[in-house]
Amino acid sequence: MTSPTPPISLHQHVSLRKFIAFFGPFIGLALVIAIFSAMPSVRPYFLTGANFKVIFTQTVVVAIGALGMTMIIISGGIDLSFGSLVALTSVVGAQLLKHHVSPLNTAVLTILAGGIVGLVNGSLIAGFRMMPFIVTLGMMGIARGTAKWLADSSTVNMPGTALDNLMFQDDPEHFFPLPMGVWIVAGLTCAMSLIMRRTVFGRHIFAIGSNEAAARLCGIRVLWQKVFIYSFAGLFFGLSGVIQFSRLSQGDPSVAVGQELDVIAAVVIGGASLNGGSGSILGSIIGALIIQILRNGSNQMGLPTFMQEILIGIIIILAVGLDKLRQRRAH
Amino acid sequence: MSHFYRRAFCALLLSAFVQVTFAADKPYTIAVIPKGTTHEFWKSVHAGAVKAERELKEKGVNVEVIWKGPLREDDRDQQIQVIENFMTRRVSGIALAPLDSQAMVAPVLNAQRAKVPVLIFDSGLNTDKYVSFVATDNHKGGELAAERMGELLGGKGNVLLLRYAVGSASTEAREAGFLETLAAKFPNIKIVSSDQYAGPTRETAYQASQNLLNRFGREVNGIFTVNENSTVGMTKALKDIGKAAGQVKMLGFDSGEQSVADMKKGDVQGLVVQDPMRMGYLSVTTMVKHLQGEKVETRIDTGVHLITPENMDQPEMKELLHPPVEKYLN
Repeated sequence: MTSPTPPISLHQHVSLRKFIAFFGPFIGLALVIAIFSAMPSVRPYFLTGANFKVIFTQTVVVAIGALGMTMIIISGGIDLSFGSLVALTSVVGAQLLKHHVSPLNTAVLTILAGGIVGLVNGSLIAGFRMMPFIVTLGMMGIARGTAKWLADSSTVNMPGTALDNLMFQDDPEHFFPLPMGVWIVAGLTCAMSLIMRRTVFGRHIFAIGSNEAAARLCGIRVLWQKVFIYSFAGLFFGLSGVIQFSRLSQGDPSVAVGQELDVIAAVVIGGASLNGGSGSILGSIIGALIIQILRNGSNQMGLPTFMQEILIGIIIILAVGLDKLRQRRAH
Repeated sequence: MSHFYRRAFCALLLSAFVQVTFAADKPYTIAVIPKGTTHEFWKSVHAGAVKAERELKEKGVNVEVIWKGPLREDDRDQQIQVIENFMTRRVSGIALAPLDSQAMVAPVLNAQRAKVPVLIFDSGLNTDKYVSFVATDNHKGGELAAERMGELLGGKGNVLLLRYAVGSASTEAREAGFLETLAAKFPNIKIVSSDQYAGPTRETAYQASQNLLNRFGREVNGIFTVNENSTVGMTKALKDIGKAAGQVKMLGFDSGEQSVADMKKGDVQGLVVQDPMRMGYLSVTTMVKHLQGEKVETRIDTGVHLITPENMDQPEMKELLHPPVEKYLN
């Protein structure tokens, strides 16, 4: 694109590419649903409101994590501490409730706890110019260990409160009413899409991920921005923790081992590049849904567990592979 | 006209007949959800479930067993997902070994509200809203170990109990059964330690055992460990300090290849074993009975047995030590 006035056909080409990039995840979603719907043994159960209510509910924890992770990955970073952080914050929440903190305050403090860990991650990454991979890898161990410490190496059971109802599925035979957690994801997805596209903060994230040096030369305060990104994402991870302990009705220090990989996979399937600079909030949510639908469908087909793992692995490689192919053709 | 009616009547009768035979042919699908899939114990449960499926089929009851563990072992959220997915798949019934007595309550109640009956096996659940609870009487297992210990030590000596983990209902029942029986029947046996935990893996158990033996190794006469990993870990630690081969009487719980080999060598004087195959078998047959409208017991004991170096070669004990898993799983 060296010519100052690109010919119209190129414009069209670009918009077509954008079109595919935007709808790519949707096509994947439709494909996955179509595959399971095509099987006569699965269809009568799979394509029902009740089943999609279950799928949506199961996606909530990973989806909220994906909101934060998308931001981080677009900025060219990564956060491996998600799973441990979910465990840590779920234990923090359960302990607070156990010590008679009100449910609302518990939720706020738990989310803040996630934010504080994010702040530590961001400060280390920006302050010492350390690789996000290394810092968050360390935090993965620290948070998991702290969770077990706070929980005395077992699960923390707390008295039942209003927070338990966040993920409560009323009427398991119909789509509505959906649990509160699903609506939270819907609301946050809209808000985050707007933030990423329409605000200076959001555009700066894209700028940093595309070319950090250029962003700095343009006057973006890259280091502060990074601290903020990881802290902000930490708040989302804290919220995932709240949802997780609501779902289990207990704080569990051993929950969500390796779940950061589900979240990263969701973001990547949703069209983000691990090199930074591209990705979309809606795409990531769709990515999370695709993974969960695959689990749900292969579960209902009675596929053995190992086949399920292989299948999801293949889908991740396929999704990213197709994306690369598309990009290469475009250049 | 009468012709028409007669024909209509015949058609109706035929369709009713077809419907009835179809209803009889529609299989009972039973989802069996273990805590994990790789451990030998769960493979035996699986074999038992398949055995029940085959026998019921021979009797003309069309049953289909779906075996499905959580994607990641010991992940409670994953197990909830499996329950939910089978609920919306509308299986006829679910047999579940809950990973946690608290966390699985909500999804189990949810499934029953969706009219999918749930049977609990292996470990308890903090509710009584289930078809039946099919499990080992773990308390009795602890009692058996205590009796054997008293017999081996001649009613006096120092005994050490290595616990498994906080909050694990099944092993806590074994520990309680052991301690209560010793206190009641063998007042001259002294418990030197019963507050240490082996933890989840062979490695953690080995370390805990080393620490304990470091402190009590000289005075202890008998040891009881409450699950497979801790039995293997403790036996290894005993060998390290040269107190194995019967100098310290070693009793364990559950059979694995290693602990059976240890017993053959004389390092272990007794193993309390469960009957996982029977557990899988009874879970499926009980659920089918319930689905056929029969009344079933709310608590079904699947049996515990004491295996010693003396009786380990008897055929029925051999079958407990090495369940014929290959016969049912290919």
